[in-house]
Amino acid sequence: MSNNSILVVGGGFAGITAALEAAEVGYEVYIVETNPYLGGRVAQLNQYFPKLCPPSCGLEIQFQRIKNTPNVKVITMAEVTSVSGSAGNYDVKITQRPRYVNEKCTSCGDCEKACTTKVESEFDFGIGTRKVAYKTHPFMFPMRYVIDADNASESELAAIKDACTYDAVNLDDAPKTIDLAVGAIVVSTGWKPYDVSNLTNLGGGTLKNVVTNMQFERLAAPSGPTNGKILRPSDSAEPKKIAFVQCAGSRDQNHLNYCSYICCMASLKHVRYIRERSDANVTVYYIDLRTPGRYDKFKAITESDEKLSLVKGKVADIVEDANGNPIVTVENALTGIKTEEKFDMVVLATGMEPSAAGHQVLACSTDTDGFVIDGEGIIAAGCAKQPLDVMKSAQSGTAAAMKAIQTVVGR
Amino acid sequence: MSNTVKVQPDLNFIKELQAVGGDSLKKCYQCATCSVVCPLSPADNPYPRKEMVWAQWGLKDRLVNDIDIWLCHNCGACSDLCPRGAKPGDLLAALRNMAYRSLAPLPIIGKWMSSSSGLIPLAAIPALLYGIIWFIMGSRLGSFLPKFELVDHAWVPVKEGGQIAFGGLFPGDYTIDPVFMIVFAFMIWAFYSGVRNMLKAFDGQPKTFIVGRKKEPSMIAALINTVQYEILQHTQFLDCNEEDADELDIKRATGHRWLMFAFIMLMVVTGIVAGTHWGGWFLTFMGIEGLGSIVSAIGHTPMPLYHPVKLLAIVGAGLGVYGLIALTKRRVNLDEAKQSSSWYDWYLITLIWAIFLTGIGALIFRILGAAVLAYPIYYVHLISVFMMLAYLPWSKLGHLVYRTVALSYAKKIGRIPMGSDK
Repeated sequence: MSNNSILVVGGGFAGITAALEAAEVGYEVYIVETNPYLGGRVAQLNQYFPKLCPPSCGLEIQFQRIKNTPNVKVITMAEVTSVSGSAGNYDVKITQRPRYVNEKCTSCGDCEKACTTKVESEFDFGIGTRKVAYKTHPFMFPMRYVIDADNASESELAAIKDACTYDAVNLDDAPKTIDLAVGAIVVSTGWKPYDVSNLTNLGGGTLKNVVTNMQFERLAAPSGPTNGKILRPSDSAEPKKIAFVQCAGSRDQNHLNYCSYICCMASLKHVRYIRERSDANVTVYYIDLRTPGRYDKFKAITESDEKLSLVKGKVADIVEDANGNPIVTVENALTGIKTEEKFDMVVLATGMEPSAAGHQVLACSTDTDGFVIDGEGIIAAGCAKQPLDVMKSAQSGTAAAMKAIQTVVGR
Repeated sequence: MSNTVKVQPDLNFIKELQAVGGDSLKKCYQCATCSVVCPLSPADNPYPRKEMVWAQWGLKDRLVNDIDIWLCHNCGACSDLCPRGAKPGDLLAALRNMAYRSLAPLPIIGKWMSSSSGLIPLAAIPALLYGIIWFIMGSRLGSFLPKFELVDHAWVPVKEGGQIAFGGLFPGDYTIDPVFMIVFAFMIWAFYSGVRNMLKAFDGQPKTFIVGRKKEPSMIAALINTVQYEILQHTQFLDCNEEDADELDIKRATGHRWLMFAFIMLMVVTGIVAGTHWGGWFLTFMGIEGLGSIVSAIGHTPMPLYHPVKLLAIVGAGLGVYGLIALTKRRVNLDEAKQSSSWYDWYLITLIWAIFLTGIGALIFRILGAAVLAYPIYYVHLISVFMMLAYLPWSKLGHLVYRTVALSYAKKIGRIPMGSDK
């Protein structure tokens, strides 16, 4: 039986945009999101291009549109487990993990106060902690707590339930299976930061004061573990000398065999974060500084910073001294001099790996790098398709909505 | 901004380089990972990034006169970590191959040595020479697989019984020693000329003034230093390993060292045999007959297996095979996507295998009395030894002279420090 509903897999910026564009012209859309919240990677940023807005800014508008569009149905903490059928007629099975918190939650935070166990925060990429009853970030949508029952003791769970005055905690919550019939599927599963443990010559994630660019976003974010202060992880000292290592995994056939598109601009943006907060010296080591389109102007303005040096040469070795200061080795390709330089903190501009990489993606094909290739009724959007910035992700979401509508129109 | 340099690319040179093993050099995008991960590359103007850009630009003058290609010991760390698969290690190996081809005189030998098609003329020279000798001697002796008895220090052919004597079929005084002395002299002449060309090229390069450097060491002092550290102790070679090198890579340096000692031992053996033989002859000729016959007796062949010189030869052969196994195992297991082997590599390793296996085989089958195997194997042994010695300056083995000279020169000008430091 034909169906004109649309499924959007992944509720990041591209997915939300695709869902809204289709729903606002009358189609029924389901967003399936694996996280407890919508907004994807944008939600984790401190500021995002092109205008360096805080993520709450753009996402608030999108969330408002979702609230005003009953055609959009959001299923969080859920994964697609099977897809069958063909364009115009898909049967999709979705498994939803238990949240243990129902829609009565007001986010008062009493449950969080009632628990003691702290675990590493996924949202902060391991540089912060969270309780077992938690809200990932202040502008979380849906605005509802999550209980991490796997990491909580029986007594702690009982305490959490007791603390809730709204009867919002449901400890009997269990995994659910949802069957959907849809006509088209938008795959906007996004990206994950490249796993630094593969970059053995850059410390492989074991050096304390070597962080990734996404961890750096969390350090700079007001809602992050340091409340927006840039402090190095080992001793919470303010770094006075910071290095950025570009192409940490990107443009490398041993790792990601493509340019991740955003990292050069992200590092230049990070230079701005630093300059807003301190007068630390910053060095950016690069192969080529790639500033697509009008971003070149951003580079020109950032570059005028006297305490910023841009050095052509890829860092190929990082070790740390006894005090945890990272030491990078690099050949400046313009002067032909190889030096070892000590920094207080190093930021690896790790690349974008499609979330689908290494997974078997249902009902659609991927290229050798793991990026999703469009099928007949299955359309890729955002960074699942190729590395993009937020603006272009949104554009690709709109384009995907159009193609999805073309698939289901008239059915 | 007026000192603009106009780059004059030599396109033929780029094609030549790509042909001798630098086929992936165009993939390089100058990220400089290679220079950083190289465990030997110095801080000032490190290699091999600059060589990659010179190669892409076709700057022939810079590359063929570049001393740094001899500082590289080809561990492959640069190629392993190269994000583009541009194989800088292969480029430096290709440049060394070009040097083997062009440094010594007689370009025809260089051309023959550069590809497998040249193998036929190269092998034909010793094969014909010793084939003719075998034919003539076999006709005279009445058998092409003769057996002998030792009568009064001379091999007398016998129809029944007797033993195999290579010296009976190929008399050393007439068919071995003179030929190899000429070959040796030819090799020395070619090396002399090659080294002169090499030093002339190095001298033409711009010099670096090093602040605070003491008086420049003499070439002799640098040479002695190189022999002491880089050659006998393999200091650079043992350092030439990436941090997470696997076992095969680590064994490469030790295997090479054992093989080198094996050659030194076999050289000593050959020296004793030839020295005592001709020394004894000379003493007898001078009228000191008593001492002459004692000296002759020391190195008289075939030696019994318990003879110290024979024992040294057997130990040398064993060490050589051990070293060869380590080197071959690594080369066979190289990841082709990262590091490839050229004709120069395979030629040399196969030739040395041939020398060792035929040497050992000739000994074994001689003792067993299997003439039909012993003589042909010995014949192949003669051909392979001839090929190694006569064409040495044009082969990869030429590094034993060229690399030694280059490292000594590098120490003299301060490109690398004296002693074991990098």
